[in-house]
Order: sequence, then C-alpha cells, then structure tokens
Amino acid sequence: MSEFYEGMAEILDVDVSEVGPDLELGEAWDSLAIVSTIALIDEIHDRSVSPDALAQCRTVGQVEALAAAAE
Amino acid sequence: MTALHPSPGVPARIAAIATHLPSRVLSNADLAAAFPDWPADKILDKTGIRERRIAADDETALDLAAGACAALFDQAPQWRNRVDFIILCTQAPDHVLPTSACILQHRLGLPTGIGALDVNLGCSGFVYGLSLAAGLIAAGTAATVLLVTADTYSKYIHRGDKSVRTLFGDGAAATIVTSEDVAGGSIGPFVFGTDGGGADRLIVPAGGFRLPRSAATAVEREDRSGNVRSDDSLFMDGGAVLTFTLREVPRTFRALLEKAEVTPDDLTAVVLHQANKFMLDALQKKIGLDDARMPRRYEMIGNTVSSTIPFVLEQELAAGRLPVGSRVMVLGFGVGLSWAGALVGF
Repeated sequence: MSEFYEGMAEILDVDVSEVGPDLELGEAWDSLAIVSTIALIDEIHDRSVSPDALAQCRTVGQVEALAAAAE
Repeated sequence: MTALHPSPGVPARIAAIATHLPSRVLSNADLAAAFPDWPADKILDKTGIRERRIAADDETALDLAAGACAALFDQAPQWRNRVDFIILCTQAPDHVLPTSACILQHRLGLPTGIGALDVNLGCSGFVYGLSLAAGLIAAGTAATVLLVTADTYSKYIHRGDKSVRTLFGDGAAATIVTSEDVAGGSIGPFVFGTDGGGADRLIVPAGGFRLPRSAATAVEREDRSGNVRSDDSLFMDGGAVLTFTLREVPRTFRALLEKAEVTPDDLTAVVLHQANKFMLDALQKKIGLDDARMPRRYEMIGNTVSSTIPFVLEQELAAGRLPVGSRVMVLGFGVGLSWAGALVGF
C-alpha cells in the first residue's frame, strides 16, 4: 500500500513515515481531502468509493478498508 | 482515419469563435485574504487557477453574451448578416421570462426574421448547443446558427463558500455554426448522457417554484469543511461530482471513438470541460493522452461552465494548432447531471 500511503501523506500534509492504519485523519479531513482521496483510490485501484462513506472515516486504516471493499 | 460519421443531412462546421470576460478579477490572493487557511499557493497547486473573472453587480450573463457576440462580429463581420438562428445556453437568465435569446437578438440588432431560444444546461451545454445547431442545419431549418454560451455562477455563490468560489469564473463565448463553405469541417457524431438522480449534487436549491426563496432559504449554515452557504446559493458535492466524472467521462470517450470508428491516434486534440486542474489531471490519467493533445485553459479564467470548451478551442485555433483537417473531440460534463461528447472537424 506504499503508493496509497504516499498519496495519503500528500493529502494530509504529513510525512509518509507518519502514515499508517492508526493515523487519525483529524482536522485535515475536509472536502478537498476527501475528493483527493477518491481520485487517489481511483488511480491506484481503479475503484470508486462512496464520498459519504469516506466522510465518515476517522483513520487511514478505515480509508484503506473502504478502498479494499470497493468494487 | 478509418471512419467518421457526422450528422446526416446538410453538413455543418464551426466557422468562428470569440469570447468575452467581465473586467473584475478575483485573484488567489483575494481568496487567501478571505480564507486564511487557504493560502494562494495551495489554491493554485490544487486547482491550477490563478484568477477568475467576476461579473459586476449590474452585469448579467446576457451582457457577457452580447460582449462575446460583439467580439465575434468584430473579428468575423461577414457572419453578422447570415445568422438565421440564435441558441443561447445559460443558467443565469435576465428574467424568468422572456427568453434571454430574444433579448439578445434585439441587443445585437439582428433581423426579426430569425429563430432564437434558450438552453438551460451547464458544463455540457456547449456540446448540446453544437448538436442542436448541427441538427437545425442538417434538417435545412437554419443555415447559420449563432451559438452563445454565457454564465455568471458568481451570482449564485455564497461569499463564504471557498469550495466553489475558488473554481468558478464568469464568461461567455460566441460560436458560428454554419452550412457555408464546409470543406473539411464537420460536426458529429454525438454521445449524450443524463443522470437526474444526481440533480442534488450540483444545485441552487431555492429560487425556482419547487422551493421559492424565503427567509428560511436564506438562513446560512456552515458545513464540516468550514464553507458557508444557504439554500439560495450554489452547492456542489465535490466528491459525488468527481465520482460521476471519473465514471462517465472515460466511458463516453470510448463510446464516441467506437461510434465514429476512429482511434485516439486519429484525434488532433481532446478538449474536455475545463473543471479544474485536479479533475483534468485525474481524467487525463484515465484517458491516457499526452499533454499536447489535451489542451487546457483555466489558469486565468477558472471554470466558466458552458464556455470552457469554446475558450480552449479559441486558444488552439489562434495558436494555429487546429489546422484544416484537424479532428477534435469535445466533451462536457457536470450539472444535471449531464454529459455530452462530439467530434468536430476543422
């Protein structure tokens, strides 16, 4: 998932070494971050995730799980 | 190229394009001053937009439309007396009624013996307008159509909503679609798409008859991203719009290639609706064409809704990058949800 972590690091504006399943999305998880994550998951996995479900995520691990479950 | 199937009947072509922008500038520095957590370099990095033009308080889409038509007749005066139909695409009409295109006919001093109608579409509107113009010409109903796209989304946008205030700019374009001197030019085939199930994803909820404006619709609310708006203002669900775009645009691109029996190598350029850099980067990766064949124009004007495609075509024609024999795919997508693609030969 390193490509995913690199993308999430850029979206959340943190160092990639900080990105892991337990990382809290926190204040950075705004509409722009969610849109960027949709594009990231589409690019890496060619999968479409629900924007509403993404908005409910609180950690990077939850986003990963959503991406893995997407069709 | 193996095949291409323009609209049957009398053939049509695009003969001239001109654009017009209001003079007021909204810069990234202006936005950064209003939204301290939204610095100018971040705005540019994410959206690719430095400036957008905003209509004056007393300046409407119809004024911008008239400006684009004046520019068109200034650069190509031979078309003024040949126009026999006006199609005006706008979502910000001067009045609920009458039809803005009728007012435009009078403003331009065009003869009364011509047709005129409005089309209410957003980012797919130019391609739809092309299809209507080509259809009128193909049927022999009109010979030279003045297709005008003009919008002022700024008037729908709440000052506190940085999500849409950053992206949209006001502007207009005027295009001559004609059966005269067609030579190598062509318009068509077309592919259309509609999903009204997504109507509420990009919407001005109040102001029509379903929800008239009232004190209740003017109540301001702040969303979880800190954007402020009311039901009187434009709302865009960026995630839903992106999801729809990433799904439908590549699909429409492929469907149009198949319908025209051409390959990507047969295309001189693919001109997508200029939503913003972020969305176009994502679409370009999926479509898989290089920068040279996916021209862009949003940095100094933002997303001008139905005018973005003619703004790019104007730029590419002026630069000499669409010589005679060029084949261009134009593809618009957005509010509706609505999308449309076409092949245009120059």
